[in-house]
Amino acid sequence: MSTLIKFTKHFISPMRSVRSWVIPLLLLALWQYSSSQNAGHAYAFVPLQNVYNAFIELLKTGELLVNTWGSLKKALLGFIFGGAAGLALGAFMAYSKIANALISPIFNAIRQVPLLGLTPLIALWLGNGESAKIFIIALASFYPLVINTYQGLSHHESKYQELANMYQFSGWREFRRIRLPQALPYILTGINLAVPFTWITTTASELLFNAGAGLGGVMMKAEANAAMDILLVCALTVTLLGIVMTALVRALSTHLLRWRPRHAA
Amino acid sequence: MSFLTIHNLNKHFPQENKLLTVLNQIDLEIKQGEFISIVGSSGCGKSTLLRLIAGLDREYEGEIRLNGQPVQGPDLKRGLIFQEHRLLPWLTVSENVGLALEETALSLAERKNLIQDHIELVGLKGFEKSYPHQLSGGMSQRVAIARGLVNKPDILLLDEPFGALDAITRDILQKELQRIWEKEKITMILVTHDIEEAVFLGDRVVVMSARPGKIKCIIPIDVAHPRQKENAQLFNLRNQAISNLTH
Repeated sequence: MSTLIKFTKHFISPMRSVRSWVIPLLLLALWQYSSSQNAGHAYAFVPLQNVYNAFIELLKTGELLVNTWGSLKKALLGFIFGGAAGLALGAFMAYSKIANALISPIFNAIRQVPLLGLTPLIALWLGNGESAKIFIIALASFYPLVINTYQGLSHHESKYQELANMYQFSGWREFRRIRLPQALPYILTGINLAVPFTWITTTASELLFNAGAGLGGVMMKAEANAAMDILLVCALTVTLLGIVMTALVRALSTHLLRWRPRHAA
Repeated sequence: MSFLTIHNLNKHFPQENKLLTVLNQIDLEIKQGEFISIVGSSGCGKSTLLRLIAGLDREYEGEIRLNGQPVQGPDLKRGLIFQEHRLLPWLTVSENVGLALEETALSLAERKNLIQDHIELVGLKGFEKSYPHQLSGGMSQRVAIARGLVNKPDILLLDEPFGALDAITRDILQKELQRIWEKEKITMILVTHDIEEAVFLGDRVVVMSARPGKIKCIIPIDVAHPRQKENAQLFNLRNQAISNLTH
């Protein structure tokens, strides 16, 4: 409960401060001014009331909800699969020197390939349906978690090792009590990096593989129909959800790292 | 019968291409419930000796026996308190104290009681849920003492436990340790470079000389507990220990 309160405070306080609204409001005013110049401008800079009307319309037809949920579901599944695989591989590499020597060169090589550059290959393997998208999204979560989990788990301090010896800790208890908490700040940094990256990749994958429910798909259709208002509603939804996710991860970090003197998350 | 027996103990460290003798022919017999202080200048091997008794270092020649059993590796029957508190920063005071009980067969309720009793023993009631970064150095060392005692070890080894504390806190904790030792009736070995501390707390003070680490003499401190810091007899014994160390 207290986490929720802290979270709300954390999330709302920057929103409340007047200064943080100055530039967005100015931009909005500029936007609105531009749209009122002529028809050409009105196409590129859709008047705000049109965007609002499109929003209400999409909400009424249920299109916005269905597609937002479609995107969220994919992002969540991708994050869970990719994140879990990343944690497992990172931990495996940290615990086994041989695994690290075998895997880390190829991992670092593959990591250099831009994710979306892999799409033709993935389309070939998995088609252009949901599984291809989830695969790409999972990769977006996978990379940062492998690296950070590995880093967090592989540096361990001998003074805590001695403590584990003194108290006769089993391997599992040493992991639970010492190595995992020690790695936690690193893992949370990984999650912090992975979440926005995952969300961006979700929309991007929907733009590339145009099938199934998703905000990216709606954006593609809107672009084809020159419906800039719908496109903007989708873009704003994506942005807003991105902000919410980042805030959630930050609140989670603050809670899990409450034992630290300063919450540097 | 002696409780802890150290017989003809030698310890070498490999250094470059020869062996450096850190401990040379250490013989020591400690009775149950006794408080032994070990003093010596840095490099006399006193901390090494303690780590050998703790079982953290298993490479030595000679004999170390506790209750007739040879020491082979760490054991929950031997508690060790380090110079730094070595609390896990991500665990609360209660959880840190509980670390020493995690690999025991005690029930959850028994653990809870033991943890609470020992937190109260070291005077930290009300701080059960605090994290180490919220505690002062002295309080952290109190938690470390509680953790060292919570599983009721046969012997508690203290490796310069107050060395990093300020003079006032050190003074308070020395008196606290005396009180705890009297209350718990547990055997303690304290390694320190503070002669006054050694004399104030010890039933006997083992004076060590350096290079190689040897026992120079053992001074019995025949002053009844609880002792006062201002005791004249202690003052004389302290001077005797100092002259032994420097000659």
